[in-house]
Amino acid sequence: MRSIRMLAAMAWLALPLAGNAQDVDAVPEFAPDGGSSSARQQQQTEEVRTLDEQVQDLKKLAVDLNRDLFLLEEELLFPANTQVAIFVSMDVGEFFGLDSVEVQLDNKDVANYLYTAREVDALIRGGVQRVFVGNMKAGEHELVAVFTGEGPHTRDYRRGASLSFEKGIGPKYIELTISDRENKLQPEFVVKEWE
Amino acid sequence: MKLKFVVYLCALLTAMQAAAGAESFAAPDFVLKSTGGENIRLSEYRGQIVMLSFWASWCGDCRSQLEDFAELRARYRDSGFEVLAVSLDTRIDQAAETAATLGIEYPVLHDAGGLVGREYDVDTMPFVVLIDREGAVRQVLEGYRRNRADEFFDHVRDLLRE
Repeated sequence: MRSIRMLAAMAWLALPLAGNAQDVDAVPEFAPDGGSSSARQQQQTEEVRTLDEQVQDLKKLAVDLNRDLFLLEEELLFPANTQVAIFVSMDVGEFFGLDSVEVQLDNKDVANYLYTAREVDALIRGGVQRVFVGNMKAGEHELVAVFTGEGPHTRDYRRGASLSFEKGIGPKYIELTISDRENKLQPEFVVKEWE
Repeated sequence: MKLKFVVYLCALLTAMQAAAGAESFAAPDFVLKSTGGENIRLSEYRGQIVMLSFWASWCGDCRSQLEDFAELRARYRDSGFEVLAVSLDTRIDQAAETAATLGIEYPVLHDAGGLVGREYDVDTMPFVVLIDREGAVRQVLEGYRRNRADEFFDHVRDLLRE
């Protein structure tokens, strides 16, 4: 898939270049007595500026193309009617230092993720991580998520949360949220479906 | 001017194609637990030169190497160089104990199932992988002797000069 993406990007990049090559032929050379050196310098500066703009445009095209191909790849690999995606988010995280998350779907391990300090920090600051995306057929399914980390009073902490859900025709999005339960001074693990 | 640019770009694209087929390749990313308790991901060191050293506590040459790498790291850390020692011991406490005995201050990681070792085709020890700032594998060095430390130092210096 990556090689196809590279080929497409190269072809895309080559098109404007072919155009440039024709332009080059069309541009006349400087006349030997074609004006003062300052005018020539100015013209050269203009040309460099135009080339810079063209390079920037090409870069933008390549980035856009890459994004489109990524989306296309996602659509092909995980069609909307079978797609299940699981996300992890954190709220505050004062009573729990996240270390890892294991996700099981219908008693099968589908994701096991170890978090670095930077990743935990990103989650605490509002980031949402897609920990799994895959295909499942329509019907009843069960999700079990096991969280490990450091709980209150720096104790090792391991907690599970589960959810039985119905997979319909459309894509299914499930969020695993870690939040603080202030009144009990304990972390709380919630699994919820997105509509 | 434009013609020059086109020629230059074509040469660049050809070079890129050639580079794709060359030995330098992206270092497989991983996340492992360190003996200090924190999880460490290789890709978070992008922008630094990383020396991955696969070792085990029963390997004598590995122990010598880890000591020499401590010196290397102390010298070049401020220039953007880091050593990650990946232990292939069966238990993390074996790795932690050896690292403590040797006074290792750089991250010592534990490859519990040997998955990362397999990813990097580690078939002998010590086994060193040198990764550049772009995250590409630049050197793979197998085996170690104390009098060969300079070879490792030279490779690191070459990368630091780039």
